[in-house]
Amino acid sequence: MTDWFELRDDEERAIAMFMSRIANVRVPDPESPTVSSSTLWWKAKLLDKWEGERRAQLPLDIMQPIEIAGGLVAAGLLLYWSLPYLL
Amino acid sequence: MTEREFGEAYVRWSSRLRRYVYRIVGSAPDVDDIVQEAFLRTLRADLRGDDEEEWRRYLYRVATNLIVDRWRRQKHERLSETTHEPASPRPHYEDEATVAKIFDELKPRERTLLWLAYVEGESHEEIAVSLGVGRRSVKVMLIRAKRHLRDLLQARGVLAKS
Repeated sequence: MTDWFELRDDEERAIAMFMSRIANVRVPDPESPTVSSSTLWWKAKLLDKWEGERRAQLPLDIMQPIEIAGGLVAAGLLLYWSLPYLL
Repeated sequence: MTEREFGEAYVRWSSRLRRYVYRIVGSAPDVDDIVQEAFLRTLRADLRGDDEEEWRRYLYRVATNLIVDRWRRQKHERLSETTHEPASPRPHYEDEATVAKIFDELKPRERTLLWLAYVEGESHEEIAVSLGVGRRSVKVMLIRAKRHLRDLLQARGVLAKS
């Protein structure tokens, strides 16, 4: 019985031959001008810069709501403690 | 990697990668977007510029992932695209258009597997990484793809039926 995982030699050869033919079939030219390597290079640099800025800003963005909440709690406590003196 | 090294890699690999993406995706207008995005992501991955083989593998892996993402996004369209028209019996494939047409009759994943295995010469392990599946699955999927291609070649009389 033939192993399911195996094709006959002539089938393997035909597939390999077909794949070498399809690899060499011409592909139509791009419809729009392709991007140059230097454009891609500078785009990557710009994206890296933005990513770096975003990473640097991230701790500040996380801390900001915590600072506001802390300030509100402190103000509430101060008001609570000073309330007897104010009344 | 320096800008000069990237320029050289771009010249060396862009048309070859474009041919791969075009053969898998077909005549879709986003072939060039996929190629461009693959180069951009590979460049940003900060690989060593002197290891060309690693660079090439990573480039193809990214391109393959982008193709897979595209399939997922266009799942419904893809399902309708994969309904094959009946193969008309032809004795041989003589011209490039016929060769391309036979290849287009395969499912996109089968085209990817066959291209990576035969044209790029990737191992089962490398294909598994590119497609995000197990090595054993690649073996099974590849044999299915080969059997499907064999059937298409037999239907056209290129290969004798067993």
